[in-house]
Amino acid sequence: MTEAEVVQNEHYKRLLQYLEENLDLKRIGQTLSGSLGSFGLWLIDKEKLARMKKIENILCRAAKKDDTAKKACVESINSVIEKTDNSKKLELFRCLLANHGFCQPLIDQGTVFGYIIACQLRKEPPLSIITLLAYFFETILKGIKKEMELENLYKTMRPRAIALSTVHTVHRLITSSLNPDELLSRIARLSMQIIRANRCSIKLVDSKKKTLLPKATVDLRTKKTRLKKVRIGRWAPGKAVKFGKTIRGEGYLAIPLIDEDVIGVITLYDKIDKQPFNIYDEEIMKTMAEQAAIAIKNAQLYKEQEKLTMGSINALAQIIESRGPGIYTPKSSFLRIVQLIGQEFKMKNHELQNLQYATLLHDAGELMIPEHVLKKKGKLTDKEYRLIREHPLKGAKIIKSLKSLKSIAPIIMYHHESFNGEGYPKGLKGSEIPLGARIVAVVGTFEALIAKRPYRVALSIDRAIEEIKKNSGRQFDPKIVEAFLKTVKRKDIFNLLKKELYGTG
Amino acid sequence: MELDDMLKDKITLDIVKFFHENQSSIDTPRGIATWIKAEKQKVKKSLDMLVKQGILIDHKAPSITGYSYTRDEAIIKKIDTKLKEE
Repeated sequence: MTEAEVVQNEHYKRLLQYLEENLDLKRIGQTLSGSLGSFGLWLIDKEKLARMKKIENILCRAAKKDDTAKKACVESINSVIEKTDNSKKLELFRCLLANHGFCQPLIDQGTVFGYIIACQLRKEPPLSIITLLAYFFETILKGIKKEMELENLYKTMRPRAIALSTVHTVHRLITSSLNPDELLSRIARLSMQIIRANRCSIKLVDSKKKTLLPKATVDLRTKKTRLKKVRIGRWAPGKAVKFGKTIRGEGYLAIPLIDEDVIGVITLYDKIDKQPFNIYDEEIMKTMAEQAAIAIKNAQLYKEQEKLTMGSINALAQIIESRGPGIYTPKSSFLRIVQLIGQEFKMKNHELQNLQYATLLHDAGELMIPEHVLKKKGKLTDKEYRLIREHPLKGAKIIKSLKSLKSIAPIIMYHHESFNGEGYPKGLKGSEIPLGARIVAVVGTFEALIAKRPYRVALSIDRAIEEIKKNSGRQFDPKIVEAFLKTVKRKDIFNLLKKELYGTG
Repeated sequence: MELDDMLKDKITLDIVKFFHENQSSIDTPRGIATWIKAEKQKVKKSLDMLVKQGILIDHKAPSITGYSYTRDEAIIKKIDTKLKEE
């Protein structure tokens, strides 16, 4: 028997089984007994051996009496089956004791795969009933075939759809992170989860040293393995990178991360069920590695972009500082303080980042004020004072022209607004002032107070804190002041401030 | 909460069955709600409860949370026995 024939036979067997489970022959017989009298109805296999067993089961009492009667009955049924095989339509027959019967072929794709046989009918069924019965069985068969097809489809499609949904979820999970360290650890965890492995390690290529550097490892075993550098070309991960192809062994699976060049490798070890890694694991991990490589590259590019932006902001901040009174301000402390205050107010990561940028650039507008005004030791004239008061507006204008910093313009514009509405440039009040601007107002003032100015000496940290407290509710938002006090009193922050200001801490 | 008590809830039982049959799956509440034909909000509630009980693992990202099956063999074995009884 050819492979195709085996598959076909299997299909017919399943069809018969399905019919047996779903076709209520007893009920059909009972329904028809009104017009045909009581009779037997059987589902018979095409396969000779199974067919014979069933035929023996359907023999009536009279036929079972002696061997000759039995033989005659079996013969009559077998001969109608043969006739049906040729005609491929319902055939009538007469059996022992002059009883009547019919045989309905069950046909799929032109092949008879079974029969529905009725016998022990007392009279010959009328043509109208025969036609109706033939139509009825064909319709039933059609319905059952459809149902079977649907079940087949469900059985084959569902696991694929679930796998596809997993791939989609994983894609969303890994593309939502732009932090390379967090991303790599996430990829390792997700890979382990999909493959059900006990350990996953991600190594990235250090092209200068021709080695693979371990970047993330998740190990669920009690005996953990130490993170090691691997030479490109050595062990499974090294070979996967060298040849740019998957290396699969019983207890490991190393998949290269390829984005134009090979950028690294994901290696999985020891499946939970202790089975060897298989082709399915390999295929699914290849898809995973493709997505991972793109996500890693994106995160690396984002980090580079971020560094570039930070570099430009620092350069701009230095220019601003050089035009001021020439006093060094402790940047790291302030950046940390605003970050901690922002976290108190549940600011998101990108908002915290913007808050730090705004802290460095809040006085960008001073670039538009003549240097002699900024460095003037005596009292400012009205005109000079007006110029100074214009710096938030001018600063916002400068920042707005830089697309990547546009979102911090409102912080810069309103950082001199007062909580009681007496600030400038717009006289905004309370929550009308953006949260970031309210934070920078407190921290910026604190920065100004502890720095030496041409027209006054620098205040001590404690005195400056007192000044901030004094203006809570007037110049500053009391909630921000409260968060500021909590932050600045932290031992690590206080020490950092002292270290940056006085070189002690 | 005992496993028996947890599985009295139809949605929770369906979720556990789904992950037990598809142990490599990682999906969102919406996806799981589709697979077990249940309401997303109720599915989310059961998912979070199952995470607390150590039967599922959550993978949180800013805009999405994925859920997957435990890797704890003892828990998996216990669930297997329970589901066979069902």
